[in-house]
Amino acid sequence: MKAFAYVNPTNEKDAIAALSPQLEQAMPLGGGQDLLARMKDYVTQPDRIVNVKSALESTVTPSGGGLRIGAAMKMVDVAEHAEIRRMYPAIGAAAIEVGTPQIRNQATVGGNLNQRPRCWYYRNEEFVCFKKGGDRCFSPAGENQFHAILGGGPSFIVHPSSLAVPMLAYGATFRLAGPKGERLVPAADYFTLPRQSLRMENVLAPDELLTHVILPAPGNVKSGHYEVRYKASHDWPIAFATVLISFNGSTVQSAKVVMGAVAPIPWRSPEAEQALVGKTITEETAAAAAEAAIRNARPLSQNAYKVDVAKTAVKRAILRAAGIQTA
Amino acid sequence: MANSEFDWPAKSSVLGTRVNRVDGPDKVTGRAKYTFDINRPGMLYARMIRSPHPHARVVSVDLSSATRMPGVKSVLMVRDFSSAPNNRVMFQGDEIAAVAADTEEHAIDAARSVKIEYEVLPHLTIVNKALDGTAPPVFTGGNVRDGRPAQAGDLTAGFAAAAKVVEGTYSTQVITHTCMESHGTVCEWAGDRLTAWISTQGISGARENFASALGIPQANVRVLCQYMGGGFGSKALSVGAEGLMCAKLAKAANAPVKLMLDRKEEHLATGNRPSAASKIKAGVSADGIITAFDAQSWGTGGAGATADFPLPYLYQVANRSRSHKNVFTNTGQQRPMRAPGHPQGSFNTEIIMDELADQINMDPVEFRIKNLPPQAPNAMWRAYLQEGAAEFGWNKRHATGDKTPGPIKTGMGVSVNTWGGGGRGPSPAHCEITSDGVVIMRLGTQDLGTGTRTLVAVITADALGLRPAQVRPEIGDTAFGVSALSGGSTTAASISPGIRVAAVKALDALKEKVAPALGVDAASLVAAGGRIQVENDPSKGMTWADACKHIGPQAITAEGDWRAGMSSTTTSGAQFAEVTVDIETGIVKVTRVLVLQDCGLVVSRLTAESQCYGGVIGSLNFALFEDRILDRNTGQMLNPNMEWYLLAGMSDIPRIDVRIKDQPERGVIGLGEPPTVSTAAAIALAVRNATGVTMRSLPLTPAKVLGAMRQGRA
Repeated sequence: MKAFAYVNPTNEKDAIAALSPQLEQAMPLGGGQDLLARMKDYVTQPDRIVNVKSALESTVTPSGGGLRIGAAMKMVDVAEHAEIRRMYPAIGAAAIEVGTPQIRNQATVGGNLNQRPRCWYYRNEEFVCFKKGGDRCFSPAGENQFHAILGGGPSFIVHPSSLAVPMLAYGATFRLAGPKGERLVPAADYFTLPRQSLRMENVLAPDELLTHVILPAPGNVKSGHYEVRYKASHDWPIAFATVLISFNGSTVQSAKVVMGAVAPIPWRSPEAEQALVGKTITEETAAAAAEAAIRNARPLSQNAYKVDVAKTAVKRAILRAAGIQTA
Repeated sequence: MANSEFDWPAKSSVLGTRVNRVDGPDKVTGRAKYTFDINRPGMLYARMIRSPHPHARVVSVDLSSATRMPGVKSVLMVRDFSSAPNNRVMFQGDEIAAVAADTEEHAIDAARSVKIEYEVLPHLTIVNKALDGTAPPVFTGGNVRDGRPAQAGDLTAGFAAAAKVVEGTYSTQVITHTCMESHGTVCEWAGDRLTAWISTQGISGARENFASALGIPQANVRVLCQYMGGGFGSKALSVGAEGLMCAKLAKAANAPVKLMLDRKEEHLATGNRPSAASKIKAGVSADGIITAFDAQSWGTGGAGATADFPLPYLYQVANRSRSHKNVFTNTGQQRPMRAPGHPQGSFNTEIIMDELADQINMDPVEFRIKNLPPQAPNAMWRAYLQEGAAEFGWNKRHATGDKTPGPIKTGMGVSVNTWGGGGRGPSPAHCEITSDGVVIMRLGTQDLGTGTRTLVAVITADALGLRPAQVRPEIGDTAFGVSALSGGSTTAASISPGIRVAAVKALDALKEKVAPALGVDAASLVAAGGRIQVENDPSKGMTWADACKHIGPQAITAEGDWRAGMSSTTTSGAQFAEVTVDIETGIVKVTRVLVLQDCGLVVSRLTAESQCYGGVIGSLNFALFEDRILDRNTGQMLNPNMEWYLLAGMSDIPRIDVRIKDQPERGVIGLGEPPTVSTAAAIALAVRNATGVTMRSLPLTPAKVLGAMRQGRA
């Protein structure tokens, strides 16, 4: 990797001061599970690394009926945190599926949310794609079996974060801190499609830090989370879904359906949500909502199977939310 | 052969027992030093410089920038690229130059600073384009080469006799060896003498390889490989361009040099299992005999390397025809990979076996038994299929297509295998017993991770009436004598006889020393339970330690070598697999594998079982996960890592039951290859049994499974 300077600030203000408005000149380092690999592969070559593990909070505090999670919290701690699991079970379920125990022991919440795409064109130095400042996406005419079926173009990456999907479903807000102070950005506005911003996947400026995830009170919702992976050990999901349902008796009053690994952002499906409202959850109504979720899918040459997989993930997450046994 | 004192004993308290690996503690504590762990005073670190293009002409190479980089001590070209035809690079990762510097980081920086001007040439990485003639002409003499055709019997008559005919196209993918330890070498010169620590499957071959390539006598080369993290064939045949460059850089820089490859280099340039595909038309009679087998096959072994495999595999077919095409592509060359040709031949044959069996409504086990060669000690499949079917619960297997409701379908599959695994000499072993009671068994073999040290200790301990822990195995050094390469499952059968002969001779010498003290005839003595004693009167004897006190200052030494009759060749094996398939996601999960496998006389039962576990897991990876994925446009590998080059983790590995079928009367036979032949086909057939659709192409990705389900039932 390219030689770099290392800065080890102990507070948020110093950490922000050590960043740079220039893209990828100075990079915040959390658990390093993404950044160090990119640096070793010459995909990202910063001049300066800013260790934010001591500068950012790694704890969970109550906040307005919900929880406030420090961005430096490790994935293992999220997965094992009793209050997170009780109030936001889908977040716990997503966290425990991430990587391996070794990775979860290192990786942080901020890093999981802000990691770069796992697209193999992006990750190989030889391909100078949109995400590296290049002029094309190699996947549509190339090998796209793991690429986007929704919201793609002109880049067809899928968003790599497992936490982003349930956090979006639970209505999380991200606190960002930069040289001009802090701002609160709802998760729904944080992630950006390639047609909005081609190079990066979110609105975080190069000299800003995502410092906290603020989760509102969950309310009386049932949750279901379902992830489909090729391998059971250490793999990225082909597709996954978080479903939150608030019931009136056995009838769906409102629903949130968010899919992961299918689009360049965590993909909320109002179509599926609409299909659920007023229904009783059965295999058939769940399947119909899942069908609605992928109705607008536009698969590439080799990823049509992902449409089926995503549909299955949504259906099973709905069934789980309703407490119905599923495969 | 007449009975001899070297014959394997009829009964043993050590041979074939469950002995923990003698070097296990060294490995888990890090005391075991692999090539990567070797550090020499003043050692430099080296890095290869490789082509990023699958096909290009090297116009110019400017090494001057690299020589000026911090810490750089030496920069060398792999060869002279100044004129045709030597100026072409033929695959991504093709070697061009190498650099040595004081730190690994400096070496990497210097390697990246070398300025190479390429004229990028049209490349060929898609096999079908070579076959249909739409690929550019890349290889002098043609992109496609005909292999040797094979014919037997009368194909026309065979199809005329068929009650049913099945046609299909079958294929397996290119996979890479993916050894845990990468290829690498540490070289140190003293004048014109070279010491090389290298991760290799053959230290004797490596010595010859270094000496001939460097123009020095073999006597000047010492090669060491105490421990290695896997080879699977990729470290068998030569020290590689990286091994030679390590030696040359060390010479040029006048300092020891370490050159270890990284994972990307491993995937690109250190070998692979060639792809294998076939278009087969086969006929079957109503009573279950294959009447005709007509196959056209092809595959790629990379840039200028062949891709042959046996077809049909193992089954007897009287009327058959086979043609084969080797397709050259701009990809790294194949190397032998665990059971070369057999996993490919097995898959290309076994799938159509179940299709044929279904055509005549015959059970796949029964159908296989009807078409196997006659039973013999080296052809035991019928017995193993019957025994395995009973243990596995084959009678609970439903007909093709699981009819139970719900998305999770269950199925079973079966497949058979064979391998040679014979031994050969010279494979000398040297035994020493010293007066302090220590036993050294020293030989110039190497352990590619299979547990050779344990085997050495077991055989020695058995002969001397000791426990394996009381033996000190010394291997992995050409100073210990010559030995064959560890490839083709030949190590155990090659080295075991010499070890026993040396140990028995050393014991004879010890008996001569202690017989006078006991007042008995040396011939009446035996070694048992840590004592030397009269065979029928244990009271007349002494402990091993006391016996060795009679040795005196000069240790007992004895030499042994391979002897005919103590080893044999050709194994039989059968494997059963059970899977679940989620037909809504295409995810296949292997739930159970049963292995029935012989290997002659079992020397070390735990390491024998371990070979089976590893073989099954490797073949499961072949079936479900591994795939060298090349970008169709640039020809570059997209997954030269262990993130997108998928390998099973703990949660992906099923319950594996291993039944080693002892054949002690046959002597020692190797076991490395056969257990990795069958699992992939058995898994694919289990998926067929579960889903009702035939999977004719590996790996069984969710995309393929869902695609096949969509296309229709078998």
